[in-house]
Amino acid sequence: MRGLTLLLTMGLTAPLCAQVIGKQLQEQPGANWLHYNGSYDSRRATTLDQVNTQTVSNLTPAWVFHVPGAGNLQCVPIVVDGVMYVTQPNAVYALDAASGRSIWEFHHTGPTADRGANRGVAVYGDKVFFSTPDAVLIALSAATGNELWEKKLAEPEEGYWSPAAPLIVKGKVIVGVAPGDRGLNGFLDAYDAETGKRLWRWDSIPKPGVAGNETWAGDSWKHAGGNTWLTQSYDPELNLLYWGIGNPSPDFNGDMRPGDNLFTESVVALNPDDGTIRWHFQFTPHDVMDWDAVELPVLVDASFQGKPRKLMLHADRNGFYYVLDRTNGEFLHGSPFVQHLNWASGLTPEGRPIRVPGVTPSLLGTKVCPSSIGATNWMSPTFNQQTGLFYVVALEGCGTASISTETFRPGGFQYRATGDVLLRDASWKVYVRALDMATGKVVWENERVGSIGLGGGLLSAGGLVFSGELNGQFIAYDAKTGKTMWHFNTGQSINSQPMSYAVEGKQYIGLSTGADIFSFGLFEPQKPLDLRTVPVAKAGKP
Amino acid sequence: MRRNLISFALLFSAVVSRAQGPSTQQVKNPLGNAPPLIQAGHELFNKTCTGCHGIDGGEGGRAPALGGNRRYFRLSEGAIFDAVKHGIPGTGMPNLGLSDDEAWRIVSYIRSLRGVALDAAVQGDVEKGMAIFQGKAGCVKCHMLRGEGGTIGPDLSSVGAQVTLAHLREELTTDLPIPSGFAPVTVVDKNGQRLSGIAKNNDAFSIQILDEHNKLHTYDKKTLRSAVVSQKSLMPHNYDKTLSPQELQDLLAMLSRQAKTKVHVALERENEEGR
Repeated sequence: MRGLTLLLTMGLTAPLCAQVIGKQLQEQPGANWLHYNGSYDSRRATTLDQVNTQTVSNLTPAWVFHVPGAGNLQCVPIVVDGVMYVTQPNAVYALDAASGRSIWEFHHTGPTADRGANRGVAVYGDKVFFSTPDAVLIALSAATGNELWEKKLAEPEEGYWSPAAPLIVKGKVIVGVAPGDRGLNGFLDAYDAETGKRLWRWDSIPKPGVAGNETWAGDSWKHAGGNTWLTQSYDPELNLLYWGIGNPSPDFNGDMRPGDNLFTESVVALNPDDGTIRWHFQFTPHDVMDWDAVELPVLVDASFQGKPRKLMLHADRNGFYYVLDRTNGEFLHGSPFVQHLNWASGLTPEGRPIRVPGVTPSLLGTKVCPSSIGATNWMSPTFNQQTGLFYVVALEGCGTASISTETFRPGGFQYRATGDVLLRDASWKVYVRALDMATGKVVWENERVGSIGLGGGLLSAGGLVFSGELNGQFIAYDAKTGKTMWHFNTGQSINSQPMSYAVEGKQYIGLSTGADIFSFGLFEPQKPLDLRTVPVAKAGKP
Repeated sequence: MRRNLISFALLFSAVVSRAQGPSTQQVKNPLGNAPPLIQAGHELFNKTCTGCHGIDGGEGGRAPALGGNRRYFRLSEGAIFDAVKHGIPGTGMPNLGLSDDEAWRIVSYIRSLRGVALDAAVQGDVEKGMAIFQGKAGCVKCHMLRGEGGTIGPDLSSVGAQVTLAHLREELTTDLPIPSGFAPVTVVDKNGQRLSGIAKNNDAFSIQILDEHNKLHTYDKKTLRSAVVSQKSLMPHNYDKTLSPQELQDLLAMLSRQAKTKVHVALERENEEGR
């Protein structure tokens, strides 16, 4: 009878629990980690401090969840009230965040080969949102994983996919697409979280008649790139959505697209209510090195040159660290954060790069620093309000870049007009660098010894900076000094961003590695289980 | 050294013999697997094979019931064709002298028996089946189809691509074990607080429960006084009694066509090595 009662109540009751409300999405991360970047300002700084410089020596794995078939996980776990959501392309898993045990999983049929990573979910109300390698946005029941609705973002046959975790802003699901290396024009979409109805689309490559189209010669705007493949930032007070835009196509031969090529390699400020653009700042006008400007815009309110300002901090793939006024896009500061930078001699007072003549891809090949990998990339930076330092993963390295002519082919083919050979000589090194927020000067740095690639991103927690390396090491540095306080060899490449959460008062540090989800917590000795008090599952009638 | 040479020679001959032609595992049905072919194969099977394997492959008095739930060792189309066409030496399975086309028709039918319901071309009125799902049978109270319905039971949006027709029929008519993640459970914590719901996962140390309000609860079992998992399914298994034969067939026809994804399907592996 109890079973029948349960059946009737569960069967007939509509979902009652709105798990995440808009106000929660505006909070700094604590027990919950609700955004890919932890918070709208993308500082990736938890308010939890159980794990800190004093206690981190006792940090130990709490559990591991193996994601079946995974090899290159890049998702950031999202945690809501003790439930963790992780992804791989075409699949979402809900886990008990304290034990790592699976609650449900969802699979979408779609291509996986050569369609990049999936970087996680967004949560709002009673739903979980994620996008797929065939460019579909899917809403799931957060409680059961049942699919509630899906919307096609773009034609996958044309070559589009959607790797980024969506961002929820004012009840809208903000989602972008990739790639920009195949001549496919990017856009940013907003969907009603409840119904899946598309509310607006902002084209990152302006069509004729739209401001910015004049920065593309002839018809070059038609196959122009500018994709939106990484989750970015939002300022609720200014009601501005900040989104970094990817590279122009073809990537390396700028002669095929004379002009500044807006809004590629820019950060744009959009009104999330209607998708209209308020301002933009272009880091690399007329880029020829595939330096997507999708690196996170980190939003900080601070005194700058004696005046309180609403700032945006951004370390760009082109090698410069920028400070902008995020109310209007005004350039306030720019300086290199890598030593290997030969393509520009500096920035103008307006922040436009002063190019060094001849340091561009050529028929015979030109040494360009940074390489096309960039001085940094999508691995997240972090900002610590206490130290005032901006932490970034930096790659010192150059490439020999060459060009060709190439004709755009529909169907998702590469449209790069050649590329660069990475010069992995003795100078090729990866670092975690702490930059003075206002001046960009390096305060401390640690080399990621043995890592030939950038690897994973950063997290601020309890006076520490957590850093995941491509060689599998997961490390905690003292945020003030850079001193290594703790490390753990996960045994797998780390290509994702650490996060933190808490369940029942215990703090955890979560991380996806190549094939597994790790969760770390402070060591607690296990006690022998008393069988009299451990409940045993018994058969019984409902 | 001599042993090494012999080993090498044996290995080499093995490699060469494997390289000489496609193995039976790689051979595909040249006639395809369209419903009319399956139907033709069905008719031929019931004329030719029933003496041993039973009508529709369902009895198997003298040979395996090909439509039953069992562990199959001949999985690929090529391997099944080989058995149908040439017999199985040393067993009662004879060479029946079938033409290649006849043998392939039978192969397509045998494969359909093992394939998912979607591939079985189930007869019935899909629209009526949907009305029964939403009405008389009450399925929609517990099961979701494409975003609409209850959550106490599995989402059936892809059920046609996930289970065989035989399994689908069994679920509706036979008291089967509760699928993983859908067992009713009641827990009592140390404060005497009671919670009933569905155990989404359960081990010796933790349990994860979906409650009646669609909210998830996760427990460390150290914090519980008791956790009682029922082995009695909430799913009615008597639809052969509560529905007419035609209504049941219409429901089966509708469910068999629900297919959004095939990812969950325990696909028959073409590779028989290691079994």
